[in-house]
Parts: sequence; C-alpha cells; structure tokens
Amino acid sequence: MFITDARNRSKYFQVQGSSGTRFSLWGLVLARANPHRLKRVPLSAPTKKTSRNFVQRFGLATAVALSLAALPAAGKQQATPKSAPAPAPQRDLSGVWHYEGNGGSEPIAPDNLIPPMTPWAQARYDAEKPGYGRKRAPGGNDPILQCDPMGFPRVMFLYTVFEFVQAPGRVIQFFEREHEYRSIWTDGRSLQKDADPTWYGYAIGHWEGDDTFVVESAGFNDKTWLGSSGYPHSEDMRVTERYRRLDHDTILYDITVTDPKAYARPIVGPHRIMKLRPKDELLEEICVASEEKSFANRIVEPALPKSKSHK
Amino acid sequence: MRSRPNHLPTYLLASFAAALAFSNVARAQAAPQQAASKSASSPAPKHDLSGVWQYQGGGGADSMVPDKDMPPMTPWAKALFDAEKPGYGPRGAPGGNDPILQCDPIGFPRIMFMPTPNELVQLHDRVLQFWEREHEWRPIWTDGRPLPTDPDPAWFGYAIGHWEGDTFVVESAGFNDKTWLGPTGFPHSEEMRVTERYRRVDHDTMLYDITVTDPKAYSKPIVAPQKTMKLKPHEEIEELPCVWSQENEFAKRIREPAAHKPTN
Repeated sequence: MFITDARNRSKYFQVQGSSGTRFSLWGLVLARANPHRLKRVPLSAPTKKTSRNFVQRFGLATAVALSLAALPAAGKQQATPKSAPAPAPQRDLSGVWHYEGNGGSEPIAPDNLIPPMTPWAQARYDAEKPGYGRKRAPGGNDPILQCDPMGFPRVMFLYTVFEFVQAPGRVIQFFEREHEYRSIWTDGRSLQKDADPTWYGYAIGHWEGDDTFVVESAGFNDKTWLGSSGYPHSEDMRVTERYRRLDHDTILYDITVTDPKAYARPIVGPHRIMKLRPKDELLEEICVASEEKSFANRIVEPALPKSKSHK
Repeated sequence: MRSRPNHLPTYLLASFAAALAFSNVARAQAAPQQAASKSASSPAPKHDLSGVWQYQGGGGADSMVPDKDMPPMTPWAKALFDAEKPGYGPRGAPGGNDPILQCDPIGFPRIMFMPTPNELVQLHDRVLQFWEREHEWRPIWTDGRPLPTDPDPAWFGYAIGHWEGDTFVVESAGFNDKTWLGPTGFPHSEEMRVTERYRRVDHDTMLYDITVTDPKAYSKPIVAPQKTMKLKPHEEIEELPCVWSQENEFAKRIREPAAHKPTN
C-alpha cells in the first residue's frame, strides 16, 4: 500500500521490527506517511518491544485483555500517580486521535477470535489473496492494492491518525489514511432502512452517559475486507462502536461487527486504546492509483517471497 | 463513479434557465433584485455559508475559463499542455492521459467545476468544505494562521479564509503540479496560488469568483467568469469515491468507444 508521499523523507526512518519484513515493510509505508509522527512513538524502545513480543507470542487480544483487565477501575487509578492527565470533558471527542496498536495494520480481531464463517463467506475468504498476514502471497487481490477504498471498519485499525470534529447535528470523523471521512449523525435520525451500499456506510451516534459515544452503522457494500489479512463481510453487516473517553488523553474503543450472512456469531474486537494528539494535524494522504502501481511493482512484490521464507 | 441519472435533467434545465436569465455583465447587480422579485428568497444569514451548494454550470465537467480566454502559457506550461491527451473536449482522444482516468485525485480547483454538490460546514476555527465528487474535503483555516511558507505539495492544497464584509475570501497554496485545471487540459505548477471569493447574496444564492495566479505557467492571472451556486437545503452529500476498478471498466465500455466517434 502506497500513500501519497507528502513529506518525502521516507529514507530517514527504519523500524526495528522483530518480525522482519512485515514490520519493515509497514515501517517503510508508515514512514512515508509521516516520519515525524513515528519519531514521536519510539517503536524500538525497550518497553514497547517487550510488549510487542508478548503480543506476538500470545496474541493481541490476550495482551490487551490482560493489560485492560481492570480497566474501568484502573484507568483512573493508574493515570493519577503517573502523569495525571486531566479528566475527560463531557460529551466531547474533538481532537486528533491515534490508535497505536502493534505499529502496523491489524485485523479486526486475531484469527483465533474470528467466529466460524458461513459457506458464503468461506468461499469468498478462500478466494482472497492478501498482501500481508498468514495467507500473504505475491499477486494478491486485496482491493486496496489498486487504491479501491479501504472502507469501514478496516480504516480503524491502521497506524494513521483520525480526527473527530463535533458540528451541529453530527460528529465528523476524518481518517488521515485515504483522506476519508464519514458523518456520524447525532440529530436523532434513525439508520436508513434502504441505504445505498457504500464503502464507509451510514452512521448515527448517541451519548450514553457523559463519556461514551455509541455509533451504529450499516449500509455498507461488500467490497471491502475487514483487515489486511482478509476476512469478507456482506451488505448485511452492522457495526456498533463505543468510544469511551477515559480521561482527557484517552479513548477506550470497542467494536462489534454483526453479519449473520457471513459469520455464525458477532465479531467482537479486542479493547483498543486511542491517544489524543493535541498538536497533530491531519495530512493529505490520498491513495494514488498511479503511484500505488509503481510501489507494488517496486517494493511490495519483491518483498513477498522473502517474507515467506522467513516463516 | 456512480451516476445520478435523476439529476441530469435538472442540471440541464438549470443551466439553460441560467443562460436565459443572466447576462454575464448584469448578473452581479441583478442577482439580489431578481431573487427578491421572483422567489422572495430570504436574506443571507451573516457570515454563514453552511449548507449544501450546487454549482450551476453546464451540466457536465466545466472548465474554469473558456479555452479561448486562457492567458498565454509559458514555454514550460506549453510543453506540458502539448503532452496532455484529454478524454473530453476538442482535444478528446482515446488512450488519454487525464490523471483522473486512473482515479488519481482530481485536485483543486478543478473539483469546483463539477456538476456534483459541495458542502460548507462552519466551525470555530475552520470552514470545512466537502465535495461529493471523490468524497473529498479540505479545511479552510479561519483561526488567523498564515499560509505555510514551505508547504508540502498536496492535491487539494492548504487553505486559509477570512471575511471581508459579506464575502468569505479563501487563499490557498501548496499544490502539487500533478492536476489539470479542467477536463480539457491546462496545467499548473507548484507555485500556483488561488484566491476565491464566496459571496452569499441571498439565502439560496452564492456568487463565486476564482483567480489563479501561476507565473511559472501563465503570463497573467487566470480570472474565471463569475459563477453561481445554489443552496440545496434538503440534499445530503453522498459517497462518490473514484473507484479505480470501476473506472477502468467504465473507460473500456463507455468512454473509449465514445471518444472514437468524433474522429470517424
């Protein structure tokens, strides 16, 4: 995946990823996206590295589940002695937010937490040839490799920032990746019953208490994957998200995908933590087809056989 | 690219009506009077452009300025222009190299002259502009910041805005040189600077002026004829991304065969 190189300084950045090509490749991609941002998050710092190794060994969900086991209580306790972030403003998510994740692009949930697929979904899954992850292979058919839209919710699990802007009647969510956005309507309307299927769906939101913004969305087309390692969904997909602002700098994010045409049970994503980036501004990072093609030929495809032999 | 078949006749009718009703010279003066006498459109709210706006153009992709009124190009721009093979217009040819044919971003200001609506949303520190075409957007910063002196070249540039009386003035720069100014070609350089004036003359009507200054490419600033936008109070911006896989199919099935016809 190649993103318009706004800053053109990719060569100054390297990721010391212990899992080899995947991280290096994404490091390169992400460095192209915004080296400054990456510098601010020391991926190679010892503490981070330990946690990433743990994640790799025991799975993201376990790691997150362990670290967040006592979150409702721990969120406040932990925060106070260390850096004491200010309390969350009420019913306000405005700002630029960053999901740190594992430093690359993630699936919605680890493979072992994806519920059984229906035959309809299994057939699609078998035809998918991702560029990353377990099934990765050269000559992949990930839609984003030709700059087709990444779509929702896949765009949520990337390393790039997003911004919430609260306007009358809606919350607008801007994604730096692909320079995309969606309106989350808060004017009391209901989800359209017969919405035109779109890449980013149709979303409505409401507050539960003063700290949790709940977003319901539907009206998706079935052309996007749920993550870089594949996993299809149907047009029946419905998504529920909960953005809970734990303190001024922190959102706890939960996502559930319900799609009975494709999966036997709802897919429940692991808890994710998003951090406020008060001084960040979204860059214009458009997926540019002409550049994507040359990037695929030059970087992605040559890297693929190597990463296979590492396995 | 999704088509909006229901809207096409509206575009055509609107442009026809506009051509009948306005002459370019009298339009600026006539617009407020006409509005009052005809539909009694309420007065414009103060310093508020919020809403979905529809450019009243020719019903298709318009040029910013008629080709004949373009100022002379520099040799640098002329060389680029000669290499361009538009898919539409008098120079339309199959196998064109218009960047948007492969879903490269249409960029600013070309996106302003499409028959799809744009929306303005006002916040305390910026005005957001959303274009249905390509599902694109830009912030127009109104918090007093200057234009960056060394901006990274971008498809939609970097924009700041301020009010002059009832007119919202937008200055932008920081564009890359990969976009065309319109469907018939005409290049620009990274030095391009754009000044726009959005003047809401009544509740439903906006007059739009745009000037492009790019000494590396043109001997004089390009001054577009004044354009009109109409409020679409019940409209909502749809999601119309350019999808390469679909565009490719569209090109093979519709555009290329059509481009063959005039030459035969």
